[in-house]
Amino acid sequence: MAMEITQFLLAAQSADARVRTEAEASLRQFQEQNLPLFLLSLSVELENNDKPAESRRLAGILLKNSLDAKDSARKDHLVKQWFAIDVALKSQIKELLLRTLGSSALEARHTSAQVIAKVASIEIPQKQWPELVGSLLNNMTQQGSPAHLKQSTLETLGYVCEEISHHDLVQNEVNSVLTAVVQGMNQSENTAEVRLAATKALLNALDFSQTNFENEMERNYIMKMVCETACSKEAEIRQAAFECLVSIASTYYEVLEQYMPTLFELTSNAVKGDEESVALQAIEFWSSICDEEIDRQEYDSPDSGDSSPPHSCFIEKALPHLVQMLLETLLKQEEDQDHDDDVWNISMAGGTCLGLVARTVGDGIVPLVMPFVEKNISSPDWRSREAATYAFGSILEGPTIDKLAPMVAAGLEFLLNATKDGNNHVRDTTAWTLSRIFEFLHSPDSGFSVISPENLPRIVSVLLESIKDVPNVAEKVCGAIYNLAQGYEDSGANSSLLSPYLTEIITHLLAAAERTDGAESKLRGAAYETLNEVVRCSNLSEASSIIAHLLPAIMKKLAETMDLPIISTDDREKQAELQASLCGVLQVIIQKLSGREDTKPIIMQNADDIMRLFLRVFGCHSSSVHEEAMLAIGALAYATGAEFVKYMPELFKYLQMGLQNFEEYQVCSITVGVIGDICRALDEKILPFCDQIMGLLIQNLQSGALHRSVKPPMFSCFGDIALAIGAHFERYVAPAVQIMQGAAQVCAQMDTLDEELMDYANQLRRSIFEAYSGILQGFKDTKAELMMPYAQHLLQFVELVSKDPLRDESVTKAAVAAMGDLADVVGENTKQLFNNFTFFGEFLNECLESEDEDLKVTARWTQGMIARLMHSS
Amino acid sequence: MADDGSASNRRDPIKSSVGNVAGQRRRQQAVTVAKERRELLVRAKRLCRVGTNGDVEDALVENEMMVDEEQPILEAQASKSVEELKSAVQYQGKGAMQKRVTALRELRRLLSKSEFPPVEAALRAGAIPLLVQCLSFGSPDEQLLESAWCLTNIAAGKPEETKALLPALPLLIAHLGEKSSAPVAEQCAWAIGNVAGEGEDLRNVLLSQGALPPLARMIFPDKGSTVRTAAWALSNLIKGPESKAAAQLVKIDGILDAILRHLKKTDEETATEIAWIIVYLSALSDIATSMLLKGGILQLLIDRLATSSSLQLLIPVLRSLGNFVAVDPKAVLTILIREQNTEESIIGVLAKCLRSEHRVLKKEAAWVLSNIAAGSIEHKRMIHSTEVMPLLLRILSTSPFDIRKEVAYVLGNLCVESAEGDRKPGIIQEHLVSIVSGGCLRGFIELVRSPDIEAARLGLQFIELVLRGMPNGEGPKLVEGEDGIDAMERFQFHENEELRVMANSLVDKYFGEDYGIDE
Repeated sequence: MAMEITQFLLAAQSADARVRTEAEASLRQFQEQNLPLFLLSLSVELENNDKPAESRRLAGILLKNSLDAKDSARKDHLVKQWFAIDVALKSQIKELLLRTLGSSALEARHTSAQVIAKVASIEIPQKQWPELVGSLLNNMTQQGSPAHLKQSTLETLGYVCEEISHHDLVQNEVNSVLTAVVQGMNQSENTAEVRLAATKALLNALDFSQTNFENEMERNYIMKMVCETACSKEAEIRQAAFECLVSIASTYYEVLEQYMPTLFELTSNAVKGDEESVALQAIEFWSSICDEEIDRQEYDSPDSGDSSPPHSCFIEKALPHLVQMLLETLLKQEEDQDHDDDVWNISMAGGTCLGLVARTVGDGIVPLVMPFVEKNISSPDWRSREAATYAFGSILEGPTIDKLAPMVAAGLEFLLNATKDGNNHVRDTTAWTLSRIFEFLHSPDSGFSVISPENLPRIVSVLLESIKDVPNVAEKVCGAIYNLAQGYEDSGANSSLLSPYLTEIITHLLAAAERTDGAESKLRGAAYETLNEVVRCSNLSEASSIIAHLLPAIMKKLAETMDLPIISTDDREKQAELQASLCGVLQVIIQKLSGREDTKPIIMQNADDIMRLFLRVFGCHSSSVHEEAMLAIGALAYATGAEFVKYMPELFKYLQMGLQNFEEYQVCSITVGVIGDICRALDEKILPFCDQIMGLLIQNLQSGALHRSVKPPMFSCFGDIALAIGAHFERYVAPAVQIMQGAAQVCAQMDTLDEELMDYANQLRRSIFEAYSGILQGFKDTKAELMMPYAQHLLQFVELVSKDPLRDESVTKAAVAAMGDLADVVGENTKQLFNNFTFFGEFLNECLESEDEDLKVTARWTQGMIARLMHSS
Repeated sequence: MADDGSASNRRDPIKSSVGNVAGQRRRQQAVTVAKERRELLVRAKRLCRVGTNGDVEDALVENEMMVDEEQPILEAQASKSVEELKSAVQYQGKGAMQKRVTALRELRRLLSKSEFPPVEAALRAGAIPLLVQCLSFGSPDEQLLESAWCLTNIAAGKPEETKALLPALPLLIAHLGEKSSAPVAEQCAWAIGNVAGEGEDLRNVLLSQGALPPLARMIFPDKGSTVRTAAWALSNLIKGPESKAAAQLVKIDGILDAILRHLKKTDEETATEIAWIIVYLSALSDIATSMLLKGGILQLLIDRLATSSSLQLLIPVLRSLGNFVAVDPKAVLTILIREQNTEESIIGVLAKCLRSEHRVLKKEAAWVLSNIAAGSIEHKRMIHSTEVMPLLLRILSTSPFDIRKEVAYVLGNLCVESAEGDRKPGIIQEHLVSIVSGGCLRGFIELVRSPDIEAARLGLQFIELVLRGMPNGEGPKLVEGEDGIDAMERFQFHENEELRVMANSLVDKYFGEDYGIDE
């Protein structure tokens, strides 16, 4: 029997913290002591129309949270719990949930729909709730079903479709679901609420409808209903219908041909005259078509050789009208759109789509857009000028350089002048367009640039003038400088055209970073990252003294941040942000100057002071600083080499802290990387710290609380440490390998359908092999025999990986290398093992046929190592 | 997701700022640089080895020759050989038969050569239709034998190469019949065994074409290599996971007698293949399981375990034993009682396997034991009173992880009454005390520290037994003495809720505020 829990549910939402905590504890206790009864009681509460809305709401939430969680381990646990519950009791719960769909309270129906979908996601794949679809459909077809029941039923169907895979239903069920949904969209028979629910359900059911879309009659019917619905009188329903069309555009691109005239008319009417929410979806329809066609074009590149899916050239066929339609959207700007990152309106969507169209059709777009640009760019109306500039900037990626170069060359001077336009929006878009020009039409390295020694002085002076403009414009100018500098990155060893302007550019960027007006932090970030790119891409022989001067200036700025008055957490955050930016600049400077022997001493001379600063930054206890300071320390360790050991006593506690920072796992991850850098710098001198480092690494790897993305770098770090300390790794080898074996086992059990998980599995496996390689190489000539007990596991693991078709090339390479290391290092003792593991011959052959040169070289080396082994007597 | 929030489509605007992306790119680059440096270092170490060892270069060259040069030659020979077979098949004149056999033999020789036979080249040249033609009824034995042999080697290749045999299957099956000579039938069985080993799809094809009955009848004779090969092919054919082939096999008259007879008397190699058939039958068919039990199979399995030292044989025999024990623990009990502590008793042979150096054997033996230990109180007493106890305790502290885990199951099961209902299982204190005093606690606490959730749970459950069940309340002290508190406290924030709750409540209950006060 269900328990009466209304009072607890209400108390758990009390304003009085004491009451609330107590009630929460009682609920939790109930849940722990008797989960089945708890869930039943919640379902009873949710179903009971006499109960208060608040208690029903919480009951629904608790039910949902007992079935689903974001964290996958927790989710697995919940699923297992559910499976363990008595079948009869579960049917009771499910019956209550289904009954709730007919409740008079909208919210309870809505929650119930969600909970049913969660149960379905667990049970349907296991064929444990075969009657669900039938009873939902029954709600739809039964004579006299009230509209609100139909609405919630459709909502439920939509959620269920979203949660399960269409393989979980038989085609018959799919057909019935689809029929019910599409009938729910029928204008003459249903209320607006039902039609809206039906249209949203269809959106989720579309993925299910492969078979139905293959059948022309069914497809025609579905498309007819969607198109009709797209003309409903309720805007919200129209929007939902257009969302269906967007999804159809990408899922069923192949069969759209016959509907295109209708769809073009529908979308262009919507773009021209409908409410913004609908018009945005209509534009999105065309953006999705572009995505599909761009994908197909890339797939079709001559070197892939595969037969590509059909390309219907919809964009090309509709081009003149489509471009016209999009150009018109550009004139619908909002007054303040440049100030806010979250704005997404029709002109932005239109421009974004125009950019995609340009990438789809290339040269063909240019003659269609240029008349619009020419007509409007000098208009007295700022909207026309901005739209013209935006259109021009949008089509710079896609068409050939040959096609674009003459126009850009002709228009460049105009744009440079437009940086003085009287309107803020026009200047913003002008600066952005310049940055696009430098991004796509400025690569002296590959032989073409719109920038010549003649016009460069003018360009630089305009940019440095404009960077003083209002913050949103200045930020776009930073982008232009960024791309300008990047173009000169590989411009020969002798000289960079940008070198003469370097001091001035750096000065202006620093000034921009210092500004305090408006959205200064966004501008500051852009200015410092641009400074980094300018430094990174500079010609070191010409720039070394400038960078050498920049170094103390940045150090001074970093020192000054320590003295900022900190009163609020806001102050603390701003300080941290500023320190992060400055540490970033130091990282780039250190990397740049330590790249050559003649400039390295500059870093060496300043290393003590730099390190002292970093330690002070750590002292400020702000984790986002940790991250950037750590990165910079990695660069410093590489620069100073073994001398870095003198910083270790003081630095070490921060390394430990970083390793223990589970919450901010990026910090932990970067710390692990830096420890690798330090190992390479110190070699054996890292030894005194290894006990603690290894202890923490092992502890972390055993913890379930650490974000999984940090684990692969940790295994790689085993390898780094072993390479550094060689035979001394002996004391760690047993626990380290034990964990490696455990992780290898975990990899083998992962769900291969989950792409993200497979990506992680690949990283993990690669890192385990890297650890093996590091340890083996470290033991070479000294303690090789220590690895003998693990040789079998290593080969088993390689074998397992070799049979996995989903492994990526980097895993293969690491596996082959580790196998070679085993043969090389442990030698003769493994001969018998290799004899038992016959897979390797085929595996190596496969690698030798690879296209990847690196892999081939590695495989050949490994083959040599094993061959030597086999020939030994 | 069926959560709230509109799913409206929205993409990143084309017009965006440089700051965020650039920072990300810079950090990414730092990581990439570190990776490159590591690779450089590793590569340098690898290369330097090659330099110090003069002979590596030679080995390399030699090896490349084998792969890069010899392989194409082999492939060319294979294509040529298929061409010759084609003309031999077309040739109708004098000596035609000899010509065909010669061509077939050459092809077979090539396909048997080297570790990487030129199967693909042979297939590309059109070998299959020719080989099928050579299998036609009424062909001389020698020709049949050579074609079946070629097909056998082709089937041993990659999956798609195995699949290429599809057109040949009806004739291969036809030649299994009693009218064929023994060598031909055996060679065909071999080819079919390879095909069956490839996968379920091909097994289904073979079953639907009637491969099973004639193969089954081939194991009726008392001895000979034909029996062995057929048994091997048969085990491939019934291996599941679907059970219908096993069910079909049981229905064949006399098959179980044949199996029992071979298990009792035949040589070890044949017994190995027979034992694999038993493994699959006992896993997939209830009828077979009960009929084999009635036929006294347990004793036969135990005898084999006692007398053989062949790993190949011991593994399937042990696994079969485990399957039977899992199904019918009572049958085991009768054996336990009848022959306690003799070399041939079930515990005795399991102890022998546990002592072996071989990991799979150890693990399987521990698994069988854990099944027995999960049985009635008599089972538990029986195990507890045997020589196997010290062995188990030693394994718990010295063996690789997966074996330790199985052994932990055995030991844990020995200490508790079999579970009934929801209440906490009662403790068999006598066993618990002797096992703990045997020094196993450390081993269990090791398991608690393992990342494997199941093992950790096992460890925690055992700690709970010790805390609750050791006399005079000495449990907590013992646990503390082995660093058990520390091990449990690791779970304080563990993501697995069940383990977290279990560990926390144990710590709270036994090591709460009052702990240690009366000392």
